[in-house]
Amino acid sequence: MFARKSHREYLLVWLMLLPALAIFMLFRIIPLLWNGVLSFQFWSPTKPAEFAGLYHYEEMFLYDDVFWEALVNTFKYMLTAPIAIILALLLALLVNSRIRGRGIYRTIIFLSYPLMVVAVGIIWRWLFDQRVGLINFSLRSFGLIDEPIAFLESFATALPSVIAAAIWQIVGFFMIILLTGLQSIPQNLYEAASIDGASRWSQFWRITLPLLRPSLFLCFVIGIIASFTSFDLIYVMTGGGPGHATELLITYVYKTAFTLTQFDYAGALTIVMFLLFVGIALIGNLLAGGDAGRVDIAD
Amino acid sequence: MHRYPRWPIHLILVIVSFVMLVPFYWVIKTSITGENIFNYPPSLWPVDPQPFFYVDAWYAIPFPRFFLNSVIVAGMAIVANLIINAAAGFALTKSFPGKRWMILLLLACMMIPFHATIIPAYLITAQLGLLNTHLGLALPAFSHIICIFLFKASFDAIPPSLIQAAKIDGVPEWQILLKIMLPLAKPAVATNIILSFIWSWNDFLWPLIIVRDVEMQTLPLGLSTFLAYFEDTTGSLYAFCVMVLAPGLLVFFLAQKQFIEGLTSGARKG
Repeated sequence: MFARKSHREYLLVWLMLLPALAIFMLFRIIPLLWNGVLSFQFWSPTKPAEFAGLYHYEEMFLYDDVFWEALVNTFKYMLTAPIAIILALLLALLVNSRIRGRGIYRTIIFLSYPLMVVAVGIIWRWLFDQRVGLINFSLRSFGLIDEPIAFLESFATALPSVIAAAIWQIVGFFMIILLTGLQSIPQNLYEAASIDGASRWSQFWRITLPLLRPSLFLCFVIGIIASFTSFDLIYVMTGGGPGHATELLITYVYKTAFTLTQFDYAGALTIVMFLLFVGIALIGNLLAGGDAGRVDIAD
Repeated sequence: MHRYPRWPIHLILVIVSFVMLVPFYWVIKTSITGENIFNYPPSLWPVDPQPFFYVDAWYAIPFPRFFLNSVIVAGMAIVANLIINAAAGFALTKSFPGKRWMILLLLACMMIPFHATIIPAYLITAQLGLLNTHLGLALPAFSHIICIFLFKASFDAIPPSLIQAAKIDGVPEWQILLKIMLPLAKPAVATNIILSFIWSWNDFLWPLIIVRDVEMQTLPLGLSTFLAYFEDTTGSLYAFCVMVLAPGLLVFFLAQKQFIEGLTSGARKG
């Protein structure tokens, strides 16, 4: 009797877990394994699979210049994180001070984050426009440049311009995360430090910054993830061009799979991208003291 | 408390706010004046404003159709997330054999970004015959792992005596979940709704991959197609932008507090 009852309870538990499990099987685990299989095959939707060994990986690492360019660009794109974090930290300190209207400042600075990235890309294309863009117009009006700059069309400025737009969108979000971190620091630490005669400068370095480490790290992880997932912004603003100057790994995977229909090669690219992602996440986790992004799983 | 001048702080924050708001102003200005690439120098103020470009965007593209598609897909994602995540979160509050493995599996899945699954996900969706359908658009977003853990955490915080009392009264399990636990987990419900809405509403890559017909396009996809085909019809493009951004901003202003809290807790998504 007792055993039957608990059997029924287990059945209920698994029934409730089943839909979620099915979704993650179908769209996380099986795709990841399938990518692995694809990367060792010659395969396209019209012809049967054939074992390829390391052919795709050899092709990628030895002969594919675009892959290397996309890889380097992905690392460059990660610069978004430290720049945005420094700006966000300054802003968080400012909007955390006791000034009037700080709620309004917070809202305004955060406002860009929930926007649809496709629309953000279109807006920034227009601002960066060579002929009539607001940025070129302002620079020329102030006499800073003589000739308009083709921000998104020249090799030197395309990637920094996209990064600028990415920073504009994410800085408010980082500010809110850091603000939450600042507000969780006990005030009496500062009072004790003041009594001991510590300057505001050393209070910042000795109290604020160390205690802010988890929040800073969370921002950093989000920034790193963004460099692997910023497809929308690149697609709309530059399409990866000029040449491949703004090609990221994710845009290259998309093009290889869905424009060139080389699913097998794109699978190998995805595996490299994924391993890189996991590697960086693990290293970051170690540096942060091993508890970043922890989810409470205590029973 | 501390004696230092406030005006430099205000000065910096006003400048930053200005930089954050200028793009909004510029897109709204362009959407009502229709200045295009031949208008140099651009005027800083809206000259001769008119609503023509909104009307044009509304009729030139099937805006109502795109909007409907986005609403259907987001609606499906929200409902599915609430049901699936609440059930899974509830199951995880109980002890059962294999629970640790289950949690480890979910945590491992969080490490797989959706972007690293697009090719097989496309092939699977094709096998299921769901390319170019609303269900196919919404299905991969039917459950977010972070939301399962949010539900588990708020269910765990409910005093066990409350549930024990209900059990003694003979209330069946599913009614305990519906009538007692869910009403006590309102913040988790709100976060679930907001996150599944915003992730579905703004999603671009997945619709780009599986949608073939204009009729099935969602708003972000419609916007990018419009950009590709009508680059010179500037006023209408930016009117379209404003119409696409307005609903998201409206939701943001209506539930600003929950929105910010939700996005902050959702940031841990892998």
